[in-house]
Order: sequence, then structure tokens, then C-alpha cells
Amino acid sequence: MTDPLVTVDGLEKYYYENDTLLDRLTGAEREAVRAVDGVSFEVREGETLGVVGESGCGKSTLAETLMRLREPTGGSVTFDGDPVYELSGDDMDAFRRRAQVMFQDPFSSLDPRMTAGEIITEPLAIHGVGTGAERRERAETLLEEVGLSADQIDRYPHEFSGGQRQRIGFARALAIDPEFVVLDEPVSALDVSVQAQVLNLLADMQAERDLTYLFIAHDLSVVRHISDRVAVMYLGEIVEIGPTEEIFEDPQHPYTKALLESVPRADTDERDRVVETIRGDVPSPRDPPSGCSFRTRCPELIQPPWLDAPQAAFREISEFRTRIENGDIDVDTRWEQVGDPDREDRAAFVDSLYAEAFDEDLPDDDEGTVREAIRALADGDREAAAATLRERYRSPCEAVDPALPAGEHPSACLLNEQPDDVEAAREEWEADRDAPGVGASSR
Amino acid sequence: MTDLLRVRDLSTRFFTEEGQINAVENVSFTVEAGSVLGVVGESGSGKSVTGLSLIDLVESPGRITSGEIWYNNADLAERVDGDRPEAVDGDFVDLRRLSEAERRSLRGSAFSMIFQDPMSSFNPSITVGEQIAEAAEVQRRASANPRSTRSRTQGYGLGKLLLDGVLPDRSYTSAESWDRAVELLERVGIPDPAERAEEYPHQFSGGMLQRAMIAQALAGDPDLLVADEPTTALDVTIQAQILDLLADLQETMEMSVVLITHNLGVIARVADRVSVMYAGEVVERGTLEDVFDDPVHPYTKGLLGSVPDIDRPGERLEPIAGNVPDLVDANMPDRCYFADRCPKAMTDCLTRPPEYDVSEGHRARCVLAEREYSEADAVPEGRLSGPTDDAGTPGGGSVGPGESGASDRSSETDAEVSDD
Ligand code: SF4
Ligand code: SF4
Repeated sequence: MTDPLVTVDGLEKYYYENDTLLDRLTGAEREAVRAVDGVSFEVREGETLGVVGESGCGKSTLAETLMRLREPTGGSVTFDGDPVYELSGDDMDAFRRRAQVMFQDPFSSLDPRMTAGEIITEPLAIHGVGTGAERRERAETLLEEVGLSADQIDRYPHEFSGGQRQRIGFARALAIDPEFVVLDEPVSALDVSVQAQVLNLLADMQAERDLTYLFIAHDLSVVRHISDRVAVMYLGEIVEIGPTEEIFEDPQHPYTKALLESVPRADTDERDRVVETIRGDVPSPRDPPSGCSFRTRCPELIQPPWLDAPQAAFREISEFRTRIENGDIDVDTRWEQVGDPDREDRAAFVDSLYAEAFDEDLPDDDEGTVREAIRALADGDREAAAATLRERYRSPCEAVDPALPAGEHPSACLLNEQPDDVEAAREEWEADRDAPGVGASSR
Repeated sequence: MTDLLRVRDLSTRFFTEEGQINAVENVSFTVEAGSVLGVVGESGSGKSVTGLSLIDLVESPGRITSGEIWYNNADLAERVDGDRPEAVDGDFVDLRRLSEAERRSLRGSAFSMIFQDPMSSFNPSITVGEQIAEAAEVQRRASANPRSTRSRTQGYGLGKLLLDGVLPDRSYTSAESWDRAVELLERVGIPDPAERAEEYPHQFSGGMLQRAMIAQALAGDPDLLVADEPTTALDVTIQAQILDLLADLQETMEMSVVLITHNLGVIARVADRVSVMYAGEVVERGTLEDVFDDPVHPYTKGLLGSVPDIDRPGERLEPIAGNVPDLVDANMPDRCYFADRCPKAMTDCLTRPPEYDVSEGHRARCVLAEREYSEADAVPEGRLSGPTDDAGTPGGGSVGPGESGASDRSSETDAEVSDD
């Protein structure tokens, strides 16, 4: 196995809201947005590590923090043995030369009046490499290398197409001969035919120059195509990491499975492929769920040891419980809908809400418990309704936070192998609670 | 299967300072009743403008310059009689020959549209429920009395489709329309619809708002829904939910859908028939199987070869060389528009190819539908360097206001249609 070039250990990047002086004086609660929430991995020399995830999962913040374009709130990054966040002076300078980053739109932060040549040579100028003439020559060579022509050196960004601009951005990243390049969504703004051209270019340059890539993207097909290993992020955490082939052929984490299944295939069999879509939205990183961060959407949410309900029924009940706990169900509106402003026909209320919330056939015991909870809701006692459901349907996934163990292909899910302390916490949780009575007062 | 819409030789142009832009060029296709037509293409292919043209939403400086849009509707056909060509049998009317007022009254009720960005389709200061109720109200009143309709969501996405007018300052919707709004929200899978209806657009997540926009578009019970990149701005797990919803609605409501997208996977998931667009033209059309399994046009093949396959990762992608032409009339060569990028270009291709029949219902605008490629006839190197190949020319032709691409594609990139 090759040595790691980059080692990321427990990296954390929180943003704080309500953090102005006034907020502090008025005592407003400081709210943390956990963009990157304790992430560890390594990038090995010469490989491409792909990082995938949906919007808001923290993958771009990860890139920026890793490159020290932002200061972390915790954790460390080691580059070729050097602690990146402790570097200064010449050492920092050296890091800035050896590691480069290219964004989706490399020009958004650049002066539009700079020519292609100036854009490419700017890093050289900053680091004082070569004379003006030498730099220009270097830019011409690079332009050719990335598939443009040397005589385009004096053109302006707006004179180039999207794909060409991406090539120039890449030439700039390569100008100073880095070893490591972070590519943040480098092809996602491009049309597919042009995207394919740029992907081929990235692969060619990597082979030619022994580059190490960290490739960040939301497009799983692209990531599979280019990566040697893949890390899957969800809500600021890596939930699974491993060799590309294994991640795509033998995914372990329920989120990875759902993600892969969701991608529509450009294939005539696609119509008949059954896709088990995961429900709901990604929760806010301001208020991530307790325990496993994927549990609000997880199809495999673990049942407590005392329960043995059909999984689909368990999930529906869990979702219903969340709606009650979040106060999403407005009792007044419900009564209006039932058409009983005097609130006498409790059975009608229960029937109406039950029919709306449940498509699955629940086992009798469970139907009884759920109806009991709805009765409490009809009486306006939301807390009792929530408690009734929590008692019987709580899941270890909401109490125990799974970890990403060490190894070649770990997964941060309680269904997969977990470190001893997590296993111990789970056992403790299970032992701590006796099986509750079945829908006690419901009969 | 009966046809809902037959589009013949439709052309839409934009008259800009840079010159005339041929955004849609002699496009023909058919939308069968109760089925999904996928329109696929890259930015600058004319796919969005085609969608806008269908429901008469092309804005100045653009305009439909020629062609026919035959719409199958017995009531209308009875009311409006006119000449119908032989080939159009049945109760069809040509939408382009209807009066402006008549055409407007079809928006929302006969035709409806959803867009990539739901946020811009809602007025941020009115509750979601009210905006959907308003769409329902407009339809209700329009069918009762076509002259009494006004809308406050005008200027916001679907509101633009609804009738012109000034907004009254009192709450405008009836209780009946409110109930209908709640029902529609429930139909598109929004939990606790009665509660959510009272919320404002910013309180909805992207996926939820997309659902709400679909609910709004359904308010008039349309025959045809035009969906322009409806999932492009969404994450893949949410995209899967929305595609399922669209397929389900299409089936249960017996609507026809024209789905416009750059994503071949999305097409494969929901479309029955496919039109592939390139440089304003439909270059190939047929059933999903015709186009995906048996493509004739080298552009279709190139497009399929450019997408990395998630299940069968290949060693190397085979991109299409070069770039899309800029569609400026003066720069459009009098030959196959794809010739400068086509690996199979022959001397035959130097005259503009017509649409050839490949098989029943499968057509391609390419000489390869008629003959084999022969190296002897290949176009000599250099013959194809027309104005579109000048690597230095910036993408001058903006392709009209409605062309949308991938979510994060800047509008600039969209307009950028030459050289790479
Ligand atoms: S820990 Fe539980 S909720 Fe989280 S992914 Fe695993 S099964 Fe799903
Ligand atoms: S007509 Fe000729 S140039 Fe055009 S796509 Fe067909 S083979 Fe290629």
C-alpha cells in the first residue's frame, strides 16, 4: 500500500450563528452549524480519492478547510508529514506550492481583465518563480498541454467557452508543479460532451505528472469513473469510505445504497428498475438528529429488541412519531378538516388521521398503540402522544452515534462493524430499558 | 394511441443585436395522449425554447416564425373551424391560428409548465396554499367566465401563464379553491398539507417547493404538462422522489408530459418517446428503445458515449470533439449542422440532410439513415472550417432567455455555444 500524502484527523469546521457582540450581550444562544463534523481519512500518493455527497453535506467546506483556505475549529491535517495548520513562513509557502485547488468556476474570484496568460502565470508570479519571459513561455506550454493553443494566451476569459475556461483553470493549478490537486466539482457546470473531454484531460495529466487528486463531486457516475477510492459524506460526516469498486458493487451504509439506487441510468431497462426512494429531506446541519445523522431517512432504521414489526410499518410509525414530536400536525386544523368544530367525535378524528398517515397494514398491537397516541393528540396532549410512541418505537439509532472505524472499507452504521465503545454504548442502551407493555391501555 | 399534439416544422427565432438566432429550427414531433415525450439536448440545443413555444411563452425579442402546433380537442375544433391538411385528421386545431385570447385561455387548463427553479415560481410574500388556490381559482373562474380572471402570482412562473390583470387588494380566493389547494398539496405528497399550505415559500425545502410547484401546475387539470429540467437543481435522492411523483401523476391523471432535460438517465426513467435536439433541430426521434439502443445519428451516439456509466465504468470516455454552433443565422452553414464535429462526415453531408425514416416512427436527420459510411466519400480535411469552427470566436449567440441547463451552470455558460 502506498503512503498517505495527506492525513486528515478529526477535522471539524463549525460556523457560528448569532455570534455578533450584540447577540452575546443579549444572551442569544450561539448556534453552531456543523459543516464538517469530525472527519478522518487519508489521501494516498498518486491516487484519486473521490468525495461524494449531496448539497449541504460539507464536501466543499472540507476542501477549503483542508487547504487551509479556512481555519478549522478542530482536528488536524498532515501533508507529507507536516502539520498544515501549524505551518508558517517558508514552510507554509512550500505547502501552498505543493498543493493546489481548482473550483467549479475558477474565474469567479479572478479579475476579468486578466488574460489567460496572466491567469495561468499568477501563481508563479506570487511565488517569484522565473522571469516574465520564462513565465510566458511556461504558460504557452501549459495551454498546449491542456488542449488549447499557445496563441490564445492573450485572450480574456469571456472569449472562452465553459470547457475551455475549465482547461485554463486547470493549467493555472498545474503552473507551479504541484503534487496534490483538490478538484472541487470541476466538471459539474459543463455539458456532457464537454465534461467527457475535461475528465479525459484530468486523467491524462495525472498519469503524466504523478498527481494526487482529491476529487469532489455530487455526480456519482463521474466519481466512479475517475476515483480509486471513494468517501461518501452525509451531514458533515464520512459515512463510508473504501475502494471504488467495493463502494459501488458492495455498498455497506444504507445512505450509500440509497444514493447509488437513486441515480437514474441512461438505459432502456431503467423504466422497470425498482428504486426504493428514501423519503424526506436532508436535515439542517444547525440541528442534526441525535445518534445516527441518517436515521430520519434510513430505510433500515433498527428496531428496538422488544419489537418485531414489518420494517415498512416500523418506518411509517417512526415518521409519524417525528411529525408529532416536531409539532407538524396542527390539531385545530385537523378538527376543522374532520368537520367537527365541537370536538366530540374523537373516533372520527382518529380514523381520519390514521388513514392519512398509514399506507401500510400495521400489526394489531401496533395499530392499537398508534391509535392510542392519536387519541391523546385529539385531546390536545401532544406530549402524551409522543411519549406513547417513543416508549415502544424508539430505535438504538437515535441514542447511539455510530462511528467510522479504521480499515479498508469501513461504514458508520450500527448494522456494520463498530468500535468497542460504540458496541458498549449500544448494549448499555438496550440493557437500560425493559420492554414496554404492548399498547397497554388500548384495548 | 391517439395524439394530443402534432408539431410541424416549428421555428422560433430571436432577433437580437448580434443578429437573428435560430433557436428552434423546423422542429416536428408528436406527443401521444397520456404519454411522456423526452426532449434531450445540451445547452444551446433549443430544447427549452421548444417547450416555451409549445405554450406560447416565447418573449420578445423572440417569436415563433413558422410552423403548426396541432392540438387535439373536440370542443375547440368544433368552435374554431378552419382548414386542416389531409394528414391531420380528427379534432385538431392549429394553436397558432387561434386568437390571442383563445390561446391564453388554454394556459393552465390545457397546457401547464414547471421549471427548474421553484423559488422563482412563487411570490415570496404570499403563502404557498394561497398561490395554489389562486391558480385553482383562476381556472374555476376562467371556465365559468373567461373574462373575469386576474392573478396576483402573475410574473412568478406559472403566474405568468395565467391571465393578465391587476391584483385586487383583498383576499381573492374562495374557500373552495383553498380546499382544492390543500387537496393538490396532498396529491403531490406533502405531509400535513393543511398546515403546510399556510406556510411561505422560504419555509419549504427545495424538494417540497418543487412538489408545490407541480401542485400549482396541476390546478387547472391540464392535458399537457411541459416540465423543463424539473429535477436538475435537486439532489439525486430528491430527484428520484420527484421523478416517481411525475410518473405517478402522469399515469393517474392521464396527462401527457413533455420532459425537457440534459440528463439521459432522467429520460430513460420516464420517457416513452425521445427527441434529441442539436443546434435547434430535432436530429433524431423515436421510442426510447429506438434512440437508446439503435441510434443512427452520430450526435446521439456521441451523447450516449459521453456519459460515464455508473454500472459499467469504462476505461476512457469518448467525448464528441468540438462545440455546439452559436445558432446565429449568418453563421449557420448550409450543410449538416453537426458535420464539423461528426466523425462520419461525408461529401453527401454538405447539403442539408432532411429527416429520414429509419423505421416506423424512428427518424433521423442524417444521411446514415439511408446509406453506409464510406471512407472514400469522407469530407477532405479542412473543407468544414466554416465560421462555426473559428476557435477564436467567443460564443456570441445567446440562445434566448429560457434556455436552462444544469443547476449550477452559469447563464454565461449557457450562452456560450462555440469553440472548445
Ligand atoms: S445506524 Fe441505524 S439509522 Fe444509521 S444508517 Fe445504520 S441502520 Fe440506518
Ligand atoms: S449527415 Fe453526415 S455529418 Fe451530419 S451527422 Fe450524419 S453523417 Fe454526420
